[in-house]
Order: sequence, then structure tokens, then C-alpha cells
Amino acid sequence: MKKVSLFGLGAGLLAALTFTSEPAFAQQSTLDIVKSRGQLRCQLGTPAPGWYELSDSGKWSGFDVENCRAVAAAVFGDPDKIEYQSVTSAVRFTAMANGESDMLSRTTTWTLFRDTQLGLDFTTVSFYDGQGFMVKKDMGIKSALELKGATVCVLTGTTTELNLTDYSRTNDLGMNAVVFEDSNVRDNTFFTNGCDAITNDKSSLASTRAKAPDTSIFTILPETISKEPLGPVVRQNDSQWKDIVLWSVFAMVQAEEFGITSANIDKVIAETTNPEIKRMMGVEGDLSKGLGLDPKWAYNIIKTVGNYGENYEEFMGEKTVMNIPRAGSPNALWTNGGMMYSPPFR
Amino acid sequence: MAVLEKGSPRRESRSFGEWVNDERVRSVFYQILVAVAVIFVAHYLFTNTTENLKARGMSSGFDFLGSTAGFSIAWTVLPYNPDDNYFHVYLVGIVNTLTVSLVAIVCMTLLGFIVGVMRLSKNWLIAQIAAWYVEILRNTPLLLQILFWFLAVFSLLPRPRDSMSLIDLFFLNNRGFYMPAPVPGDGFDLTMIAILVAIVATYALAVWARKRHFATGQRFPAFWTGLGILFGLPLLVFLVTGAPLTFDYPSLQGFNFVGGVTVPPAFCALLLALVIYHSAYLAESVRAGILSVSHGQTEAAYSLGLRPGMTLRLVIVPQAMRAVVPPMISNWMNVVKNSSLAIAIGYPDLVAVFMQTSLNQSGHAIEIVAMVMLFYMSVSLSISLALNYYNKLVQLKER
Amino acid sequence: MAELMHDDAVFRPKPSLPPPPNTVGVVGWLRKNLFGGPFDTLMTVVGATLIVYFGHKLFMYGVVNAVWEAESYRECLDITGGDGACWAGVDRWMSNYIYGRYSVDERWRVNLGFIVLAVWLAPFWFPRVTQKILVGVSAVLTFPFLAANLFLGGDPGLFLEVMTAIALTCFAAVWLNVAACYAGYKSVGVVIVRVSGFADKDDRMHKWVLLGAFGVGFVLAFLYQSTWDLAEVPTVNWGGLFLTLVISGIGISSALPAGVILALGRRSKMPVIQVFCTAFIELFRSVPLITILFMAVTMMPLFLPVSINPDKLVLVIIAVCIFAAAYMAEIVRGGLQAINKGQYEAAQAMGLNYWKMMTLIIMPQALKLMIPNIVGNFMGLLKDTTLVSIIGLYDILLMTKASGQDPKWLGMHTEPMLFAAAVFFVMCFCMSKYSQHLEKTIGGGYGRR
Repeated sequence: MKKVSLFGLGAGLLAALTFTSEPAFAQQSTLDIVKSRGQLRCQLGTPAPGWYELSDSGKWSGFDVENCRAVAAAVFGDPDKIEYQSVTSAVRFTAMANGESDMLSRTTTWTLFRDTQLGLDFTTVSFYDGQGFMVKKDMGIKSALELKGATVCVLTGTTTELNLTDYSRTNDLGMNAVVFEDSNVRDNTFFTNGCDAITNDKSSLASTRAKAPDTSIFTILPETISKEPLGPVVRQNDSQWKDIVLWSVFAMVQAEEFGITSANIDKVIAETTNPEIKRMMGVEGDLSKGLGLDPKWAYNIIKTVGNYGENYEEFMGEKTVMNIPRAGSPNALWTNGGMMYSPPFR
Repeated sequence: MAVLEKGSPRRESRSFGEWVNDERVRSVFYQILVAVAVIFVAHYLFTNTTENLKARGMSSGFDFLGSTAGFSIAWTVLPYNPDDNYFHVYLVGIVNTLTVSLVAIVCMTLLGFIVGVMRLSKNWLIAQIAAWYVEILRNTPLLLQILFWFLAVFSLLPRPRDSMSLIDLFFLNNRGFYMPAPVPGDGFDLTMIAILVAIVATYALAVWARKRHFATGQRFPAFWTGLGILFGLPLLVFLVTGAPLTFDYPSLQGFNFVGGVTVPPAFCALLLALVIYHSAYLAESVRAGILSVSHGQTEAAYSLGLRPGMTLRLVIVPQAMRAVVPPMISNWMNVVKNSSLAIAIGYPDLVAVFMQTSLNQSGHAIEIVAMVMLFYMSVSLSISLALNYYNKLVQLKER
Repeated sequence: MAELMHDDAVFRPKPSLPPPPNTVGVVGWLRKNLFGGPFDTLMTVVGATLIVYFGHKLFMYGVVNAVWEAESYRECLDITGGDGACWAGVDRWMSNYIYGRYSVDERWRVNLGFIVLAVWLAPFWFPRVTQKILVGVSAVLTFPFLAANLFLGGDPGLFLEVMTAIALTCFAAVWLNVAACYAGYKSVGVVIVRVSGFADKDDRMHKWVLLGAFGVGFVLAFLYQSTWDLAEVPTVNWGGLFLTLVISGIGISSALPAGVILALGRRSKMPVIQVFCTAFIELFRSVPLITILFMAVTMMPLFLPVSINPDKLVLVIIAVCIFAAAYMAEIVRGGLQAINKGQYEAAQAMGLNYWKMMTLIIMPQALKLMIPNIVGNFMGLLKDTTLVSIIGLYDILLMTKASGQDPKWLGMHTEPMLFAAAVFFVMCFCMSKYSQHLEKTIGGGYGRR
């Protein structure tokens, strides 16, 4: 009896496997998945000051976190309905492609290769950065071109690594790259003279400097050796979801242009005669329909997350460890000579 | 007879139950079941993967190996520049991994034996130090130790300008260890050939001496003769061909030393961590191995009239080695595997250059992970084969 | 004769001389153990110098110059100039090192889970308790589900609810058994049979009675656990020491059974099974854990159907289990090989079939022999789980790294690293000492006591 039942068990197992082998090939839209889950899965990097900070109370905040919060506010009306995923840079794209994360907002540079060959779509640029070098002042160096034969600390798996190689080859500098997986180790190596220079996006160099025992002995060289447009990324072939993320960022930029902040938004809406503001905030028209969102989506973003300028001040501004001046940089509004420009809400 | 009569008709047409209960039939059935299940699962995974790749718009195949890598690698044993392709990156990574592993294995074996003997020292303090050395190192994660040594190496060593130097040929600073590089000239090939010839000759001599010793009982000083051949012959050829070897000396230019051979600090730190961590494990094996040889063996050897030195060499060590070698070799295997933690401190080993940087740049996860696994598998399989061979050689002949 | 009787002729030993003063007491000990000869003396001096030098450095850094109260790392640096440890930051982040980003209000659940496990396993150390094997087996098989339900919260699904109820019943049974044993009965089963009044019926009846009792317990437990209303804590928020213990705990408890099966498969006489088991073991033993982890997070999702979206923690745990099982298989195989062939032959001569021979004769002996190696493997696994930090799981190591990126504690990394090293040292050291103790108490089964 026992033996016969073993046969049965084996046959049953086989049959079960056969039936499960039919791959369910139903491609659901990301918006539906997010809505049914009740939470947005937002991929961040491992903690980095300014961009995505993890406090000792376990809360995430930061400039890139605000992009996710804006999307959550647009979808749910609540910016805290987010499951944050903090992923090392080595596996960030696979985590996206696998459907583990709904969006990625983590100082990721927009390149043609990444946009086309990794199954990803870049939405827009939320921060214009550029790669630079930081050295110790006592080296007496004024330009990156003087770094001939220097040893440079760099983080692995980033465009920074490639840019450094390109720059060194273009200018025949023969630099030695020392590659790190962990930014803490990299920074400490630089502080203890393990490298002559450290290279990274200029915004991140500021945070490296803020870690040093003595912050005054470092200088960031004037050269910007690359373009680093950073922004949120979504999976390919889901244009509705891409639009939602894209326009959530635009809403924050546009709100700043209109002078709407989280503090004055109710007052502005009550008093405004500007039809574009009314359309944007869902008072008039049905712009939200195309996105598949609540008419008040943009209102929710500005009310709970704030506009672009507010976020910048909070995480990158002069009062923070980052201390990156905005005026005169590409991150200023286009009306102030920068490149932050939102298409019209019409 | 009655039993036979009852049994024999069944043997011709066996009932289902009996057929099922036949051990051979069942064994064949189980094996077919397992084989079918495995093939089925493999097929299932394969179809899923192809569909996934299609659905996600990701490319697959090994074509990417031919495309230009475009990133630089901090330190390579093989020559490399960013124009080389991904396959070359793979080779560069392999050689870097093997280099650090081999050096670590040699140093770790020496240190492990020293610490193992120290643990058995009659000096209480030394035995205690060795015991705590082993305890502390074995009970903390290697990853932490690697980070620790890396930070320690950097904070203890001077900047290039104030390098420590040894007779202006060897330099040590926090950029690494610098030494003169040999540059072979014309005719150096002959010396290399002479070295090979000397090795073969020494081996042949040893075999011959052993045979003669067994056959006639006469000893032949094979060790010293062999040593003479091993060094004398290449040296002779080297001198006759006109000493065709020059050195490239390191010198301080700009920020760093130029010329010579450079060993980067990440290499030193990784080496230090691997050597120290695994030597603690080896020390325990060595201690256990020595303790495993019963004291009766020593006494028996003495009573046969062997002198203490010969007792050690001919009786104790061979028996202790039987217990020490298998764990030692698996320790070596662990060194190769654990060198993959280099990723944490930026030593460009196979995992760092291929599974991190290349995977990130090219996105070919499956191919790259498979290639990396293939490498580690072939290394450890060849080590296992060697170990099995050794085990067969020294096994106690039982029954 | 008479002369012999005389007092003077009797052999009167003189009292033995005291041992030379330099071989006894403190001086003797020192001479023997520290200053036995010139070389010994030199070694002692060198060793002592090293200890004093490094001990002093560590003491100055960790205690004398250390800062215990500060609001930020910058403040610490201002006080010490970098010469002392900044324990204030470690203290501030301490709970995160332990629980990761697990919601603060829900952390009692983690504590409760580990307390339950400790209480569950406690009867192991009670001398009068019987059926200790069942204690261990029930804990290993069912506790993970109870813990999963407790730690995850939210809607657990029917399967997890049933398993939780079974686990609760087992837990209750274990402690009722303890009570029964201390009340003087053989086990709780005997008590139940007696109370139910079936004591005079045959054994088969007893089995049904016990099953019935278990069923009643199960129903009660199921009703009880369905009243739970726990907030969901997604696995991405799990972290710190808690996560380290979860990963290594599951790895450890699944490694032994899986390892035994693989080892038996490798020694099997059926070629196909042997080939597959050997290939599996050799494949996963020969590659570094980091490549297996990479495979788990980058490749495994591609292997699964498009619609399935596996949790990263689950993938990592599967990878760790595979890795640990492959290693354990080799240890078990070693243990099996060490068993004398006579034991197999004797078991077969007694007419035991394969499984009875293995479970009753071979395995118990082999497992005893393997204790040091098994514990060594467990310790290795515990330490190796730090590698999950490389693929971005917030175990204790990555948590300590994260604390150094908090703008308030920017740059603090040596102190958390030392803290993590100390935690691992304490855990592994205790494990290894306990294994040595076990070896002495139960591993000596071969010898005569």
C-alpha cells in the first residue's frame, strides 16, 4: 500500500508541475498594481546625505525621496503610502527590471544605453549635476588638468567611473582609479590620503566634504567633466505610469513657477483667477483623466510634499550639509536663467 | 519444496505488488522520476527566462563579450586598457583573483603552521596569545576584518612624499608597495628553459634516489644535489648568455611613483585579511593534527632507535599531515572563494570587475554570473581532485 | 631477629625535602610557563610588549578619549579631534542596529518572537524532561511559521494561519510535557491518555486519543490566533541584528535536514540520484556565497514566471539555505564515512531496512561525531550572512554603515564597525564554547563512561 501511494504522490507532483508551467503572461499596468497594493514601491540607494537620508528613527527623507512622495501623493493623496527599497547600486537596474520596484529615484544618470538596453525608461531630469574633483588644498592644485598621474577614488558601477576613464584618456592624464563599493570606505580612504583626489557628482562631493574631521582643508576643482542629468526612472512599455511620474515632477516645478507653496496653496486656489492654476489643481477641466488619477492629484502633491524650490532648500540648500547654491546653476527655474522648465498644464 | 511451489508460478507472471516491491524496479523508477523532474524544472526555468527577457526588452547572448568595456581597472596583472573587450576583462579579473589567492595561500599556510605550533607552546603567554588570536579571528566576520585592515593600512602608512624606503629600491606608502620590475632582455628565454630543465632533472633525480634507497638501502644526498641543479643550472645559463636581465626602478614623479612593480594597498589589505583570517582556521587544524598522533608513536619510534629529529620527520609529521592536509586544502579553497570579498575595498578581482562593473554596464546578468561561477567551479574542482588524489595516497589501508 | 626488633634498626625515612623553591608557587609557575629558557623569555617579553602596546591603544581610543554624550558626530570630533571613539552615535542608533527599520511601535513583536523561541527550547536544558527530540523537531519545523506570522503581520493567509496554530499547539504541548514530567509522569501523552480514561485500551487507541487532543488544541489555537490583528511590517523594513538572525536562523535550521538528504543522495547506489546530488553539492560548494547571492537577486526573478514577484528577502534566504545545505551535506557525508562499516552490517543483519538503519543506527552516531563541524558551519553561516549587505539587505553591517550616512552622524563608521564585530564575537564565541561543552557531554558516546 505504502509503495503504491508513493507512486501516486510522484505522479501527482508531476501533474502539478505540468499545470503550473503555464506562464501567466498577463501584463498589468503599474498603476493598477500600485493601487491594488495600496503602496508605492520606491527604490532608493543606500543612505546618502541630501539625496536619501535615513534617520535614527528609521524614516527616509531627502531630495530624491520627494519624487517618490510626490508620486504617492498623486496616486493615493497620501505621500507616506510608500514602501522604500534601499538597494545597492550594483543591483539597482535588475531590481527595476524584475518588477521589484515601481520607480527608481536615486541619483541615476540618464544615458542612451541605460534608457534603451536595460528595459528602463527615464522620465525627466529633476537635478542637473556634473562630475568634478575634490582635492586637499595643501596640494596647491587649481585645475583638474594638473592631476597628471594622480590616484583618484571612485565608486564602482556608476557612470562616474566611466567618465573618469574618458577624461583621463582625453587629456592624457594617466590617472589611476581606485574603485570602491562603499562610499564610506571611499571617503575615508580619501581623508587618510589614500588617493590624491576624489571624483563624483559635484553635489555628492559636498556631502563627502561634510564627513571629514576638518572640512576646511578641501577644495572642489572648477572643472565639470561630465553631464549628469539625474531623475526618476520607470520600467519600459508603460507610458501611463511614465506620464504619472513625469508629471508629478513637472507639477512641483510648475508650482514653484506659479509661486505656490505647501503653505499658501489653499489661499492661492481660493483667490486665483489664473485658469492654468485652476486646471492644474483640478478646480476646472478634467486634465487628470488622461493620467488616470484623482482630479486633485497636483494639489495633493504641492500640499503634502511642496514645490521644487521648497524641496531644494530643505535638502540641498545652504542650511544643509550639502550646501549647493541654486542661483546660477541649471537647477534654477528657467525664469531665473536655469533649466527647470515644465511643459504647460493644458 | 512447498515454498518453492508456491513461489514459482508467481515468478512467471508477477503481481503488480511484487513488481513494485522489487528493489531494482523501484530504484529505476525513482531515478527516472528524478531525472524527469530535473529536466522538467530546467525546461520550465528556461522558458520562463526567455519569456522574461522578451517581456523586459533585455538582450541576451554572449555577443557582448566582444564589445569594448570602456572602464579602467585600477590594478591588473595582465596588461589591460579600456579599449579591451569584456572577455579580456574576464581574463584580467581571473588573473587578479588567482594572484591574490596564490600569494595568500602561501603566506597563510606558513602563518597557520606557526600559530598552530604556538598554540601548543609550553610558554603559557605565547599559547594564550595564539589561542586568543584564533578565537578573535575565527569569531568575527571576514568582511568586517577586510574593512578593518583596509582602514588600518591607510591610516598607518605615510603619503607618497614621505614613503618608507628600503635601500631606495623598495618603497612603501599608502598608495602601495613598490619594487623594481625585472625586464628580460634577448636570450632570457634560454634561462627560462634552463629552469624547466632543472626542475625536470631534479624530479628525475629524486625518483631515482628513492628507488636506489629502497633497492639497496644506500642513501643518496638527493636534496642537496637537487638544490644544486635547481639553482646552479639556470644561473650558469644566465651568466653564459650574458646576464640578459635589467631592472626597472620605481621613482617618485608628480604624485606617485612611476616604474617598477606596484602592489596597491587594496591588495595588501585583502592579502593581510585573508592570510590572518584563514591562518586562524589552519592553526586549529595543525594543532588538532599534531595532537592526533598518539604519544605511543613517538615512544615506539624511540624504542626502534630513531633519533628525535628522525622521529619527527619520519613518524610524527607524516601522520599529522594526514589529518592536516584535507582541512588545509579546503582552507585553500576558501581563500580563493573569499577573495571575492575584495569587492568591499576595491581590489579589482573577478567579482568586482566582472560581476559588478561589467554586469552594471552591460546588463547581461545570466551570462556574467554563469561565467563567474564557471571559473570558481573549475578552480575548486581541480583543487578537490588534487585532494582526492592525496587522500587516496595517504589513506590508512583498511581491511 | 631481636636486633631487628630494636628501635635503631627500623628503617626510618627522613621527611622528604621540600621541592626547590623555584619550582613551586608563583615563581615556579613563572619559570615553568614563561621563562623556561632564553628563547622562551624572549618570546614572553615580545608577547607582553605587544599586548601592552595594543591594549593601551585600544583602551585610550575606546575608553579614555571616548565621547559618551554628544548630539552629532561633528560635536564628537570637536571634543576628541578624532582620537577617541564616539559611542554617543552608536548609542543613538543602537535600537536600529538591532531591529533595523522595523516600526518602532511593533518591535515588541520581534522581542516576543525571540522570547517564545527561547522558552520553547528551554526544556532542552531541564534534566527531567523526556522527549527532547520532539521539542527540537517541533521548534525547527513549526516555529519559523509562527515567527513569520508574528514578524510580518498583516493578512497572513490561510496556510500561515494553520501553521501558526500548529506551532502554538506544539508550544503548548512542549510546556505541558514539562509540567507533566515534573509532576512525576513519563510524558504529557501518558497524562492525557489517563485523564481521558482510555488508559486500559491498546496502543492504537492511545494514538487516536493523542491525535484528538492535538486536534482540540489546534482548534483552540486557530481561534486564538485569528483574533490577532497585527499591523503589516514589510520585509524591506526588517534589518539589523534581527535580520541577521532571521536569515542565519532559517539557513541553519533548514541546512541540517537538507544536508542529510543530499548526503544520503550522494552516497546512494542509484546513479542518477547520486549524480544530481553530487552536482548540486559541488556546484554550490565551489562558488563563493556572494555569487550565489548575486544569482539569487539578479537571475532568480528571471527564472520565475513573469507574474510572480518574489520578495528579495525570500530569494536571499533561499540562496543562503542552498549554500548552507551544500556545506552541511559534505559534513554529514564525512560523519557517515567515519561510522564503522560493522555498524551498517550489524544493522542489516538485524533486518532493518535502509531508512530504519539510517535513522536508528547510523545517523545518531554520525551526528554526535559531527557536532564540532556542524557548529562550525553554523558559526560560518552566521558570519557569512554579513555578505547580504553587499546586495543591499539591511543586516547589522549595512545598518552600521547607514548610521555613518545620517547627516547628524556623518562620517561615523569605525565605532559601529567595532560594535558589530563585538556582537559577532560574543555570539560565535558562546556558540563555540557551548559546542565544546556538548562534545564533552554527549559526543563521548563512543567511549565508556
